Amino acid sequence: MDDLLADFLTETNESLAELDLALVKLERAPDDAQTLSLIFRHVHTIKGTCGFLGLPRLEHIAHAAENVLGRMRDGKLAATPDVISSVLAAVDVIKAIVAGLAASGNEPAGDDTRLAASLNAIAEGRTPAMAAPPPPPIIPTTTATATAPPPAVEAVKPEPLAEAPPPADPAGDSHAGAQTIRVTVDVLEDLMTLVSELVLTRNQLLQLARRQENSGFAVPLQRLSQITSDLQEGVMKTRMQPIGNAWNKLPRLVRDLARDLGKRIELVMHGAETELDRQVLELIKDPLTHMVRNSGDHGLETPAERRAAGKSEGGRITLSACHEGGHVIIEIGDDGRGLPVDKIRAKALARGLASETELAAMSEAQILRFIFRPGFSTAAAITAVSGRGVGLDVVKTNIERIGGAIELRNAAGLGTTFTIKIPLTLAIASALIVEAGGERFAIPQLSVVELVRAGMGGEDGECRVERINNTEVLRLRERLLPLVNLRGLLALGEAAADADTAAHCIVVAQVGSTMLGIAVDAVFDTEEIVVKPVAPILRHVTMFSGNTILGDGSVIMILDPAGIARATGVVGSNEARATPGAVKDSPEAHGPQRTAMLIFRAGGPEPKAVPLGLVARLEHIEKARIELSSGQPVTQYRGRLMPLVPLSGTLDRNAESHPVLVFADEDRGQGRDRCMGLVVDEILDVADEHLAIELSGGQQPGLLGTAVIAGKATGVIDTGYWLQHAAQDWFHGARGGRPRVLVVEDAEFFRSLLVPSLSAAGYAVTAVASATQALALRDAGTAFDAIVSDIEMPELDGLEFVRRVRAGGGWAELPVIALTGHAGLADVAAGRNAGFTDYVQKFERDALLASLRQCLAQSGALAAPVG
Amino acid sequence: MAGPRDRVCLVVDDSRVVRKVARRILESHGFTVEEAEDGSQALESCRRAMPGSVLLDWNMPVMNGIDFLKALREEFGPGNPPVLFCTTENDIDRIEQAITYGAQEFIMKPFDDEILVGKFTQVGLL
Repeated sequence: MDDLLADFLTETNESLAELDLALVKLERAPDDAQTLSLIFRHVHTIKGTCGFLGLPRLEHIAHAAENVLGRMRDGKLAATPDVISSVLAAVDVIKAIVAGLAASGNEPAGDDTRLAASLNAIAEGRTPAMAAPPPPPIIPTTTATATAPPPAVEAVKPEPLAEAPPPADPAGDSHAGAQTIRVTVDVLEDLMTLVSELVLTRNQLLQLARRQENSGFAVPLQRLSQITSDLQEGVMKTRMQPIGNAWNKLPRLVRDLARDLGKRIELVMHGAETELDRQVLELIKDPLTHMVRNSGDHGLETPAERRAAGKSEGGRITLSACHEGGHVIIEIGDDGRGLPVDKIRAKALARGLASETELAAMSEAQILRFIFRPGFSTAAAITAVSGRGVGLDVVKTNIERIGGAIELRNAAGLGTTFTIKIPLTLAIASALIVEAGGERFAIPQLSVVELVRAGMGGEDGECRVERINNTEVLRLRERLLPLVNLRGLLALGEAAADADTAAHCIVVAQVGSTMLGIAVDAVFDTEEIVVKPVAPILRHVTMFSGNTILGDGSVIMILDPAGIARATGVVGSNEARATPGAVKDSPEAHGPQRTAMLIFRAGGPEPKAVPLGLVARLEHIEKARIELSSGQPVTQYRGRLMPLVPLSGTLDRNAESHPVLVFADEDRGQGRDRCMGLVVDEILDVADEHLAIELSGGQQPGLLGTAVIAGKATGVIDTGYWLQHAAQDWFHGARGGRPRVLVVEDAEFFRSLLVPSLSAAGYAVTAVASATQALALRDAGTAFDAIVSDIEMPELDGLEFVRRVRAGGGWAELPVIALTGHAGLADVAAGRNAGFTDYVQKFERDALLASLRQCLAQSGALAAPVG
Repeated sequence: MAGPRDRVCLVVDDSRVVRKVARRILESHGFTVEEAEDGSQALESCRRAMPGSVLLDWNMPVMNGIDFLKALREEFGPGNPPVLFCTTENDIDRIEQAITYGAQEFIMKPFDDEILVGKFTQVGLL
């Protein structure tokens, strides 16, 4: 009777799933006779069928539970939390036995005397005496119930679920009866595959038929087409399950959680009937459970805390689901305390996930996203409930793996809501069909943010492509996005050098938290595509995530924006590596030292420029917001007064608003953040430029020199001068104990930029033009606290320099930070091997300062300046 | 006098396991078995084609055994088809009720071949 046992297991598991839900429901609504009778019937059926299979232990427990339920049904016993708990304990034992049965085919051994005695005692009305010491889990079971005596205040309000999920599967099963059959998932998967093939074939046929007028095939084809569509829909339906199936276990989980934590939690579920592919459903089950547990454990406060905060004692966790396009949106919200931004910030710092500088520059939303980083948990104490080493990072990874995204909204004191967006199905995806170099490609719609058509350097300020030498960037509403030309990337015919790029359509794609533009030749339509895995022969090409067959029978590749982003990074560093150690005299030789320059106009028609890395933000500040403070124009900016320095000398009173380059000095932290606004006439452009600069040698104050940028002579601003001009106190002069930094840099231009920057940050800076000079200083016995060195230098390059520093002498232990125009992984590895402490991109001023602080703190030589 | 459906037994039980056990026993004794998961399905089945006998569970969703029995006798008159009422020791007080509403015999769960054959013989079905 083996298949009988299998039937029994299926049937009983279904009953058990329903039992959990019904019991929790009964606890909230103890008078619900219908629920009670449902519970009774399930336990009764389990007990009844045990007899047929010779399962005495199961029968014994089910019988005892049935006794209790029978008394309740007859109105002789009230459905108190204690009573429900003991029935839940019995259900747990039943589950454990059933699990053992499923695993071994035999009832596992165990002693249920105490549980049975306790149940019988309750049935006989001796409740109080017996309920206090809870029956311990009788056998080692993973689902040991929370049967601890409850606090006087019970977990849940006697309020029915706002919208309980429909009774799970068995409901449909038992009602439909003979109309329902069981089919293994494999069969459904095979069907799905076959239908996909059929759809593709149908589409091919349709395309062929369209070319033939008055074909005799037209009518039957149309019929075939319709039937195929219906069939596809039908098969898709077989894969669909209500999300309520994944939620089934949650009421019980929340109930036990509330009991364990001494909280009052109400679980509200909306949209349990929302259907999604069972494969997706399986994949989100665990993440959802984890997040609900998190909300209950970390999000919601204890009743006392809630009272103190002026809230109702009972917390609420709201789960909702709905369809939106081809996606399912699931929200898990609580009305708890909200995420502790300060704690998260502190923890991110403690864990070294970000430097103080970086954190200071981050918005609250950015800081909150740290909770998705591996190993990040803010719970001070690891509770038994959460904090099991599986964090939100795993949740995020799992959701992203199926092409989903997770977002969060936080309101301090009011709660946190996580929003998960997942595709309805993995088998069929919505994709944008694009063309590049005569080939078509599919881009998953999920990662497409928007489609733009960009003019080249046109007047359209919203969106345009800026192309400097071989690098294109997309300016989109004041953001600069990396731009990839698909044709160039995939080496399809003539690449990016083509001048009509301007007219190209650009797909703005989101990859994790970054966006990039993908320039294509044409955009067609959004199509539902059947996703096929990439053939093994192409699997190493990470730019593709799969392929599909279009209606006309052509096989096209599905692009993976994440892979493209990675691939472009690699391409970039390869290019840079192509000209290592080149001679620095000619402008062309500066290949590896391209620097993004912000070009603007101020006090004259000729363009001026400043390295973009030094500028914190670009703003337009209205005339009305500018006031005078002891003769100095200032404005309220991000909660403090920011001095404004007009580069042209005077502020144009007629202008309605002024473009302002904001230089922020947020590195100093401790509330001493300062910023300064350099007022210019017009912001012109951002150019990624090979630097060929002629230094003016201090002929004109505030100007470092002139460079040819985008074909025009451009004045390069000496930011140090202007910073000093704005706020004298940024420069503390020779204050004792300033860390001494040696800058080794062959290019005078860079030295001129670095020295004021570092001085402004409070370092005593010495600059030399070559490694040889630096080593001479060492040999002369000059002491420093840190060294910042360029990599590519004539004669003795940075790598060799640092090797010699490490080889011995007074500087052997000093932190040495490498400055480089390109930091590919391989470069970093090589640099570290040679002895560099850290790697910093040239002109990443904040990064350099952060790195210096960190290095100095680690070396313990001297505390880095704090202000 | 023997009708074509005399040897058809309708097994009414919400448990697939119980239905299967009953089916095996009855089929081994030459019965044709039809199944229903609850009283309302069973009533539908009877309206389509009346079975020769009914093996009826007591506790079922939608329409329980007693309600089915009442409806069956009301609609089709007393006595036919014979109904064997299944129950457990927890529901002994229901037996009387079942007999009142027109069940011919009761069977305690769990039943086996011997018990089932004994009861069917008692009612004259075997």
